[in-house]
Amino acid sequence: MRRALPRLLLAAVALLYASPLLLMVSGSLRGRGLPPPRGVEILPGSPTLDAYATIAEVLPLATYGRNSLVVAALAVPLTVLVGSLAGFGIRLLPPRATRWALAATVGALLVPVTAVWATRFELFRLAGAVDTFVPLVGLALVATSPFLVLVYAFAFWQLPDEQLEAAALDGAGPLRLWWSIGLPQARAATLAVVVLAFTFHWSNFIDPLLYLNRQSLFTAPLGLRLLQQLNPTDWPLLMAGAVLTTLPPVAVFLLGQRAFLGDEGLLATAGRWRR
Amino acid sequence: MRGRGASALPLLAPFGIGIALLLVVPALITFGYAFTDHTGFGTPRFSGLGNLRRAFEDPLAAAALRASVLFALLAVPIRLLVAVGAGIALARPRRGARLGRVLVYLPTVIPDVALALVFLWVFNPLYGPVNGVLGAFGLPQPVWLSTAWGARWAIVIMMAFPIGEAFLVTLAARRSLPAETYEAAAVDGASAWQQLRHVTLPQLAPLLVLLAVRDTILSLQVNFVPAYVLTDGGPDAATLFLPVYIFDQAFEFLGFGYGAMLTLVLFVVTGVLITIQALLARRWGWLR
Repeated sequence: MRRALPRLLLAAVALLYASPLLLMVSGSLRGRGLPPPRGVEILPGSPTLDAYATIAEVLPLATYGRNSLVVAALAVPLTVLVGSLAGFGIRLLPPRATRWALAATVGALLVPVTAVWATRFELFRLAGAVDTFVPLVGLALVATSPFLVLVYAFAFWQLPDEQLEAAALDGAGPLRLWWSIGLPQARAATLAVVVLAFTFHWSNFIDPLLYLNRQSLFTAPLGLRLLQQLNPTDWPLLMAGAVLTTLPPVAVFLLGQRAFLGDEGLLATAGRWRR
Repeated sequence: MRGRGASALPLLAPFGIGIALLLVVPALITFGYAFTDHTGFGTPRFSGLGNLRRAFEDPLAAAALRASVLFALLAVPIRLLVAVGAGIALARPRRGARLGRVLVYLPTVIPDVALALVFLWVFNPLYGPVNGVLGAFGLPQPVWLSTAWGARWAIVIMMAFPIGEAFLVTLAARRSLPAETYEAAAVDGASAWQQLRHVTLPQLAPLLVLLAVRDTILSLQVNFVPAYVLTDGGPDAATLFLPVYIFDQAFEFLGFGYGAMLTLVLFVVTGVLITIQALLARRWGWLR
């Protein structure tokens, strides 16, 4: 009994956290223009894909999705490159410098984005990059989020000193060490970073909102916002748009979740888990 | 390994350049703009503390500050409680744990515009399921988005869902605690609750302080999208959070200088809240 209660609570929380996605899907299957439901409706009486059929007539959501994919296809590999190089660089620093570098990375995580919105915009305007994907992809230069550098630093932390020193004695430079020792042993971290970076870039709303004016360049979240402005009360249509916008990151997450949520992998290696 | 430090620098260069170009330089320029009348076009002119004086006399700026601080006070404890609680509870490898982790993480991967639309719908007075459920249980059905407190709580509730980062960090930290301590505690007959209270929490304490600091900053700055989509700052500026107001000033009303000063104000407020947290943590013996 005393063990059952916490588990029940945990199950309730997990179900609660699944509910936004479930509600989104069930809401998208409702017939359009129906009166409000009486009482609670878990699944609409006569589910229909009507809203999904209509959505393509209202907005070129496929174009927006393709734009989002282009941004992610450029930004995610660049994030992996910058993040893993920085994480490995931190690993190679002498202990004192490592502490400073980690502190600086955490510090970068603590800078509020509002502090750089307007001035970053000016810099990109000066560079003639407004109304292009450059400012969106450019975020990969800060590894999308300094958090991802920390993920890599954490993974490379577990590389034994002896292995690095032996390879260095054989004449391997830092780039070579990163490529042939670091990356192969941090595959789980890379998978995690790919998932996290993809969801960030796909979902990014504020930067496309600031930088993109031409509708032909709009990304999926901007398209969804446009859909809301055009049809503010057509709930099945809006939920269908939300489902379509949510599907790619959820799919990538489900494919890669083992890397950071599994019992083994990235994080489990840190503490030899023994029950 | 002597000389290793120097050879690491080229690897750090891209990230360092990125931080300098996209973070440090813009932040410094923002600081400078705060004392000018810059509109985003032309040459900024020095205006001393004019923007600060304007902020003190601006009722909307005061409302925005109040809305932001209230939001952080409500949202941070709830977000941390769920993230840390679920992180500790789901760290053990046992049946169903990974499914639990995936479900708790799931809202984090939903694009925030889509998540905001879902909450716009569930809090809808006519069609929304929330009041339907409350009504079915005979509970009061609040007016969510068109009253001040209803709108505040709606955004707090929405922001209680995307908590993945803190959840991940807690999972990793809990797993890096040595199993021996728990075995010793179990031998001494400590219950699960006692283990949590006397083994897990004390060891995670410094990290929890860092998470609280990070989440305070997030809560003061990332509530832009929900406020933008869900309430548009309303009703009566109840959810006109500082980032929304700064965005309006800088990009709608061409007040780069004024927006920059408001950013400084937000920065100082964040600093004060973080200092209070750090002092409390030290007083409670969580930080040494």
